[in-house]
Amino acid sequence: MGYAAARGGLDAITAAEQLVRTLRLAAPSDWLDGDQIVERLRLAVDRVMGEGGIWDEQLAAMALRQAEGDLIEAAHLLRSYRSTLPRLAYSEPVEADDLTVLRRIVPAFRNPPGPQLLGRTSDYTGRLLELIDDDRAREEADKLTAARRERVRAAAGSAPAGTRDERRPQRLMTLLRDMDLLVDRRRDDDPEPFDITRVPARPGAPRSARLATMARAETGALVNLWYRNILGPDGYLHEITLGEVRHGWLPVPVVHPHTGHPVEVGRVRVTEVEAIEDLDGLEEDRTRFDVGYGLCFGHNERKAIAMANLDIACDRDAGRSALEQSVLLTTDGLDAAGFLEHLKLPHYVTFRSMVERKMAVRAARPALQEEPS
Amino acid sequence: MTLADVLPEASPTPSGGVPTSLPPLLDEHAKREIRRTILTAVAVPGYQVPFGSREMPVARGWGSGGLQVTLAVVGSGDTVKVIDQGDDAGVNAVNLRRLITASTGANESTVPEESTIIQSRHRIPEDELRSDHIVVLQVPVPEPLRGVERDQRELARMHAEADYAKMWVSLYEDKVRNGVITQTTGYPCLVDGRYVIATTPIPRWDIPRLHQAPFLTLFGAGREKRIYAVPPHTDVEPLTFTDVPFEVERTPGATCATCGSDRSFLVEVPAATGSRWVCSDSDWCRRRQKAQGHD
Repeated sequence: MGYAAARGGLDAITAAEQLVRTLRLAAPSDWLDGDQIVERLRLAVDRVMGEGGIWDEQLAAMALRQAEGDLIEAAHLLRSYRSTLPRLAYSEPVEADDLTVLRRIVPAFRNPPGPQLLGRTSDYTGRLLELIDDDRAREEADKLTAARRERVRAAAGSAPAGTRDERRPQRLMTLLRDMDLLVDRRRDDDPEPFDITRVPARPGAPRSARLATMARAETGALVNLWYRNILGPDGYLHEITLGEVRHGWLPVPVVHPHTGHPVEVGRVRVTEVEAIEDLDGLEEDRTRFDVGYGLCFGHNERKAIAMANLDIACDRDAGRSALEQSVLLTTDGLDAAGFLEHLKLPHYVTFRSMVERKMAVRAARPALQEEPS
Repeated sequence: MTLADVLPEASPTPSGGVPTSLPPLLDEHAKREIRRTILTAVAVPGYQVPFGSREMPVARGWGSGGLQVTLAVVGSGDTVKVIDQGDDAGVNAVNLRRLITASTGANESTVPEESTIIQSRHRIPEDELRSDHIVVLQVPVPEPLRGVERDQRELARMHAEADYAKMWVSLYEDKVRNGVITQTTGYPCLVDGRYVIATTPIPRWDIPRLHQAPFLTLFGAGREKRIYAVPPHTDVEPLTFTDVPFEVERTPGATCATCGSDRSFLVEVPAATGSRWVCSDSDWCRRRQKAQGHD
């Protein structure tokens, strides 16, 4: 067996792997445990779960640690882990109104039905780098922890903060519909959602394929696609008005294999966005608005907003431009990053073929070489 | 009764294989789906069959399609050869090979004669292959018409109606402008008189090997989620005009600096004092040197 011939490459990649592993694991600082990553780098964890297509904070934390903080690499680790798992069940459809909000804002009205609940956001915090030393940070952390414990103790026994209506507010769409301000695009049938993990989505795919693709897309890719269409040469995309921006918990019901009844097997945090579109096309209803929808795993408002805007833009475009193809085929982080980085692989066979053709063109056009350059 | 009796596929050690040190990289449902896709691809030569491409432990663009095809068809009794640019020691070839053998228990070899499955990026081995060989080619871009049309819907129509006019016009314009057809690797070929395929990027040198080949060639494009096939004894004709012969890469006077071959695909080793040439198929070259007595 000619195994020895393959030795050189194996030694080289084993050494490279060992270098990465050693410098990561044997770094002189404390071991970074999963809870630290989940609790202190939650937005990175949320992004990795969303782009990796798995809801599991600890797995995402492990992936982030292994990937040395590279979000796309971490999402890749989660997705290839997914490939080893059989699919045992599908969850039941869940009403978006069952979302228990942690945060909810409605930019379209000053006083919408239900609360404007800022929740955990640094939207209105000055972006000042906190040049704080570790000792002072620990001191503050201790104080905050104590104060939090005190609040929890004081609140023990009393009703939880926020009534049910405040935590599950009516959505703005209902109000707009009551005001007859929305075109009605609701359909009567109930088609099965398109499963992008089993069937490749290509232009002409149903809306569910578009939404699923964007929900797993790389956040930066969606933001860029949105911005390109606002400012770039690709096309014209309306800036929407945000109706709902929500972050909260959604139950996951699965039909019990024995009883046949849905049971809640867990819950996931999602960001949900409804985007109000001002219809201004010649053939469109100028007396009403339309709505785009975005929903993704975790707390990622940037992604959900871009998604909702692109959703309604695709619908209005109706296949006239390449927008849908861009959404379906160019926003996956693993696809784009993998293909870009494959350029690092050896290409000397293809390059040899290219050089040969350059020589062939010269031979076919000897006059070319006498022309001044 | 043991688990192995119920699930023979769960214990991939018997019949000459090596014990697995990695868990399976694909679940059994995925393997079945890929095998069904392969059957469709073999039944409709050259047609790009969509499939639910899974994420692999290698990045998209790094052989994830070829790896899925190999994992779907490999058994513990198989022997795999994996090459990149013709070289068994290429770093990505090594990585793919160890993933395949460590997760399936298949044997490995660099010699085509000892192998049953040959996964390759950019080359077909120089050796004559047999009817029981399966060649798995890693495909970065499965769409041969992308250079002349970008819209997916239009591309689907063109293939469905065998409307390859734009491709012919582009080849004609190329010839008129440049004096030769400048298409380098991945040369477009008509398969079984029906579908035009992208021949991965294998060099033109390898194209005649596909025509009426005794072996099965499977093309796996993981990122673009397509599998296509050239079954044994199928016509594979490079698109060209009757009065413009198809040209393979050839450098007059060049021979391999290590084995002396002038009938293999040679790659250049540049040097200021004048280039040398060596075989890109490293194992074929090694065996020739051995036969010549200077190992």
